[in-house]
Amino acid sequence: MDKEKKNIKRREFLKGSLVATGALALFGTGAFILDNKAAETIPREDFLRPPGAIDEAHFLSGCIKCGLCVQICPVQAIKLSGAAEGLAFGTPYIEPRMQPCDFSCDALQCVETCPTAVLNFEPFKAAGLRAVEAAAAQPGADLAQVNPFEVQKVAMKEEVRMGRAQVNKSTCLAHKEQGFKGVSRGQDFKGIYRSPNEDASSASPLREREFDREICNLCITECPIGEKAIYQKLSRSGKLVPHVLDGCTGCGVCQMVCPTENASIVVEPY
Amino acid sequence: MLSEYFSNGKNKEPLPPKPVEEMPHTRAGLSFKAWRDARKGNHKMRNIRWTVLVFMNLLFVVSFTFDLAILEGSLSGSRLVGFYLMDPFNSLQLLAISSRTGYIAMLTMNFWIGMITILIFWFILGGRTFCSWMCPYHILAEWAEKVHNYLVNKKKIKEHNYHVGLRFVFMVGFILLAVLTANLVFENLNVVGIISKSMIYGPSLLLLWVLAIILFEVFVSKRFWCRYVCPIGATYSLVGKLSPVAIKFELDKCGYCLECHKVCLVPHELWFVRRGAATQEVHFVGSDCTRCGLCVDVCPGKALTYSVRGASAIM
Repeated sequence: MDKEKKNIKRREFLKGSLVATGALALFGTGAFILDNKAAETIPREDFLRPPGAIDEAHFLSGCIKCGLCVQICPVQAIKLSGAAEGLAFGTPYIEPRMQPCDFSCDALQCVETCPTAVLNFEPFKAAGLRAVEAAAAQPGADLAQVNPFEVQKVAMKEEVRMGRAQVNKSTCLAHKEQGFKGVSRGQDFKGIYRSPNEDASSASPLREREFDREICNLCITECPIGEKAIYQKLSRSGKLVPHVLDGCTGCGVCQMVCPTENASIVVEPY
Repeated sequence: MLSEYFSNGKNKEPLPPKPVEEMPHTRAGLSFKAWRDARKGNHKMRNIRWTVLVFMNLLFVVSFTFDLAILEGSLSGSRLVGFYLMDPFNSLQLLAISSRTGYIAMLTMNFWIGMITILIFWFILGGRTFCSWMCPYHILAEWAEKVHNYLVNKKKIKEHNYHVGLRFVFMVGFILLAVLTANLVFENLNVVGIISKSMIYGPSLLLLWVLAIILFEVFVSKRFWCRYVCPIGATYSLVGKLSPVAIKFELDKCGYCLECHKVCLVPHELWFVRRGAATQEVHFVGSDCTRCGLCVDVCPGKALTYSVRGASAIM
């Protein structure tokens, strides 16, 4: 190539680079502002990040939006956000009122599958191992009787902290001393979960369950964690009401099963 | 020879052009025009490639829709029968960000396995082979190019060309942006990821961005995204710098007809097909080549073929 041609090429490249840099700055700041705006709106009531999500700023810097967590979830609780949700585009979220995480995968598979560890499996792994060690160290523990997987999976799900449930006393049926009879959320509701009261391995629709309670306590009986998270408390005024404890994982099953028009128990993200 | 593997012969003195009696059409006893048009309408490689591309992308969709554990995830990151695969530019951005935030130590073993597997896989098959054989945007861009060429031929629009090195400006720029903002900025503009995810998880508003790029390619500049912007392609072209699988050019079968040059997405890599430009009897097409096979389909003398570089030296 002769000199003049080379010079033309170089000028072409520099001119293009200038435009490219401008475009990069423009799109970069645009995308950054949009994503950060989304980050400001989190935590929002309607949405949770999947189990094990690290803090939002780091979450945004590491999530490649591949959707592996979405695909592995057996109850399809995890979705990728579009424009309407107001979260960073394409990032995974859970809408507990529609479909909560019910731990029916038994091993926090969304966390385990995440390749970039924005859903970080390490704390769960550690909790599982601790629990197995503790079970083996118990006086009189028969090692042959301890099923490490059973111990591990309980410890792992109890380690989840997506948020914490809050009871709305003005609408809660138990606070109004009312019972509940029938199908919660109606026949058209599509949400599924695995009830702790049934001996099933997978989740089934909420609409298939008929309840009959003198005082409504669905959030308590359907909680996948149990008495470490929520129990029926006799209040000072003599009512039997749900009471949330620190063991609440924020899975949101209570929020889905709550029969009032708007959920009277809502998970607030941490 | 090892030296031939590394040198593209660009700095050597060109060989003298072949005389008429050594041209392939004379040897075949045909007129130049008859020889040139003999393989017109041959789309064998293109059809194979389109089938592979559509099949692989459908495999993603089918795996999710019917809950089969074959190819889960999307082109940004996936699992092939449980084995992780990571998009190399995504990995690069992630490494850049995480080394700043200290987050790098948290990256899982699956991340490293996925990244290294992809790098090795596409190194063997030739870097940008990903583009024409896997990328769902590529097939749209191919159709957009057809419309564009039609409009240019009808003189409705003018052709705009830029410098192909701009891809690397964008590549470095997007990595810098990622580090500065601690955010995977490019993933919001990544037409490949947008199309892949729209197919798998349902359409999103960002498809409008893809549409805008396609319209720009139709009316302004041919293959704008692939040629001048896409940092994924740029990463792959670095990965494929010394790939064994490459398109081989044999000068003695070439009739200087430039049919290959007309169909090529990256014609600057076919610099040696012009009369009197080749410096060696055999050339391998450089790393910007997507191994799409359009030139292989069209070449009347079969001077351009798929080959494994260095295989003859080993045999």
